[in-house]
Amino acid sequence: MAVATVVLHGTRAAAQQAQGFNVERFYPSAPGAGWFVMDDLDIHGDVGGAMQVTAAYDRDPLLVGSGASRLAVVSDRAFANFGGSMWYKRWRFYLNFDLPAVVYGSSGVVGGYTFTAPNVDPTTLPDPVGDVRLGTDMRVFGDPHGPFRFGIGAQVFYPSGRSQDYDTDGTFHAMFRALFAGNTDHFTYAAHIGTHLRWFDESQTPGSPKGSELLYGIAAGPIMPIGTSSWALVVGPEIYGATALRAFFSPTSTALEGLLSARLEGTRDDTIQIRIKLGAGVGNGQFGAPEWRVLTSIEIFNHNHVEHAP
Amino acid sequence: MSHVDGRRHFVWGVVGALCVATRVHAQGAPPAAHEDTAFDVMNVLSDHGLHDLDHENWNLYGQTTYISSWHPSFAAPYTNANGSVNSLLPAPEWSFTDSFTVFLAVRLWPGAEAYFVPEVISERAFSGLHGIGGAIQNFELQKTGSVTPQVYMSRAYIRQNIDLGGKLIEHTSQPTQLGRKVKSRRLVLTLGNFSVLDFFDRSSVAWDPRQTFFNMAFMTYASWDFNADARGYTWGGIAELDWDEWSMRIARTASPQNPNVLPIDFRIWEYYGDQVELQHDHVLFGQPGAVRLLGYRNNVNAGRFADAINTFAHDPTKNAAGCAAAGLYNYGSGNVTAPDLCWVRKENDKIGLGINIEQHVTKDLGVFARWMTSDGQTEVDAYNPADRSFAFGATMKGGLWRRPFDVAGTGVALSWISSIHAQYLAMGGVDGFVGDGHLRQGAEGVVEGFYSFNLFKALWLSADYQFMWNPGFNQDRGPLHIFGVRAHAEF
Repeated sequence: MAVATVVLHGTRAAAQQAQGFNVERFYPSAPGAGWFVMDDLDIHGDVGGAMQVTAAYDRDPLLVGSGASRLAVVSDRAFANFGGSMWYKRWRFYLNFDLPAVVYGSSGVVGGYTFTAPNVDPTTLPDPVGDVRLGTDMRVFGDPHGPFRFGIGAQVFYPSGRSQDYDTDGTFHAMFRALFAGNTDHFTYAAHIGTHLRWFDESQTPGSPKGSELLYGIAAGPIMPIGTSSWALVVGPEIYGATALRAFFSPTSTALEGLLSARLEGTRDDTIQIRIKLGAGVGNGQFGAPEWRVLTSIEIFNHNHVEHAP
Repeated sequence: MSHVDGRRHFVWGVVGALCVATRVHAQGAPPAAHEDTAFDVMNVLSDHGLHDLDHENWNLYGQTTYISSWHPSFAAPYTNANGSVNSLLPAPEWSFTDSFTVFLAVRLWPGAEAYFVPEVISERAFSGLHGIGGAIQNFELQKTGSVTPQVYMSRAYIRQNIDLGGKLIEHTSQPTQLGRKVKSRRLVLTLGNFSVLDFFDRSSVAWDPRQTFFNMAFMTYASWDFNADARGYTWGGIAELDWDEWSMRIARTASPQNPNVLPIDFRIWEYYGDQVELQHDHVLFGQPGAVRLLGYRNNVNAGRFADAINTFAHDPTKNAAGCAAAGLYNYGSGNVTAPDLCWVRKENDKIGLGINIEQHVTKDLGVFARWMTSDGQTEVDAYNPADRSFAFGATMKGGLWRRPFDVAGTGVALSWISSIHAQYLAMGGVDGFVGDGHLRQGAEGVVEGFYSFNLFKALWLSADYQFMWNPGFNQDRGPLHIFGVRAHAEF
């Protein structure tokens, strides 16, 4: 793929090299957590588990500059995310690997900073792994199938990959979230609010992270049983994003995405189930939110719910 | 090492120290036999009635291994002569590797399984992994890393099992294998990202090199230049037919874009490695054994030694020092009086044939011997530069002295290069690993002895000694002594 070179708002001679960072704003929910980003907090049963593969494509997740002369430093990003989780009663533990497949963009100078285009594809890097995520969630109270559940979650990211490819900040970072979810027979919702403790702070560099962030998101949709089978279809929007704490909801430091997702899922508790998810959405094109993205995911999970004798 | 590097190293070290359990298989090596008494994730779940090890739909294992090696100074009348760059440095050196692996497996549909194996490696090699041919002292050094830990995807593949009849045999739960019963006659198709050694040349005597021999010469045939990227993994497909005591495997795999680099050339119909293995399992005097015949043919972008020598003879400006200026892939030699493979890389064939015989003498004692010859005309593309190799040895579990999980072993490995390869090195040429600037040709050899002491059925502490002569196939250098220790945990 050709990599364009654009010079905007500055001269190359005086420009500083912009550092790469983890540009991705899609933080997938834990394997088995239902939604793409939100968590349905359906954590119950004896030892159960889930494995999940998500494939996604982002368009223009990193645009810097303004107006018609914006530079798409990262114009195309396709990746897979592979994860596995185990749960027991109220607890869930999970591990996720971000596998960037294609990362392309354009080089140029913006605002006195030289941006170098990433260049990742399987022929240049056959075995890439971006940041590795280790997380745990707990359903603190609420019935696993009731109208209101509350939980907490923590995730730690181990830096991996190459920052020049916009796969990683190159430092540890962590997320702590409060989780809310519930459902009736025909409706389900989930939300989260939390903080992303992020030490990478290049406030002066256009488009770069500005330290720790506030995370927010909500999702809701109807549950539509498929006839008399044990399958159900859930369709609904997920709206989520992040904003830098030091520039609270300023336009250039706030990412916002809306995703329309549909998932077909098995609803039995006593055997292995499959969940297939499709989604497409748009972002505000700022702070790592892409112009648009499409994604799909497949999960295999088992609540392994065993009725114990009293 | 920077402060950040040190912190990461420390974190992984702590993770490793906390890991306990048994059985795992290392890069390319077969897993150790399943031990029902092992203390690992799956056995703990099984013990609590929460997992069925015999009919698995998923499993999860892990391992961590730290290996440290040191050699004192050794005799060497010259080192990196005339601007060559591939000598083993004669001054005392320290080397280490630290790896951490997670093995995930899940059943997809009847007969189909998916495997995903991320891995972390941190390492420092002797002399930048230069100067030793077929007998690199630590098998994990093939994984190309740095002191800063690097995470990568080592394996991601799908297997489809097609039963063809026969009796039921048990597959125990272990890394990259779901516990289940399969038929003794079956066809297994594999597609994805893997190491060829995951499926070929799987020894049950010198099994998991994280528990047994340290030296790469005992992991498989030293002169088998199996297709792989610089970490030992590749992409491709394998078909395996098991028919009772007979097995036959064929594979086609992608090759690196240039010799010994990470980027893979996915034009698998143009550049590829093919291998065929025929295996027969037998029982002799009541003890199991196996014979394996293996042939391979690589069709890869690589240089032939004769072409490099002839090119240099006709035009001395096409020497080793001129590669970089010409923009050709090279190994950094500054020797203006030497030929170089950089000028002659093109589509070339490389072939080899080998045999591996192994036999258990008692329940705990096994012996093995491997021999292979390759054509010796073409440079190393992926593994190591030996053109012919022979290794034999024995391993013994500690049942005799009431330490059944301990393992002791000793072996001898020899490797040779072809006469044209030797001529190229003697003229000052270098390949991916060797080239001292001069050469007095000799067989590179190593004798190794190790003892692995088991703790808690999950942690092995090993001591190792290797005596190596003619490093880099050069009689002028060495011999040298290499001392090693290893801590290995499985969970």
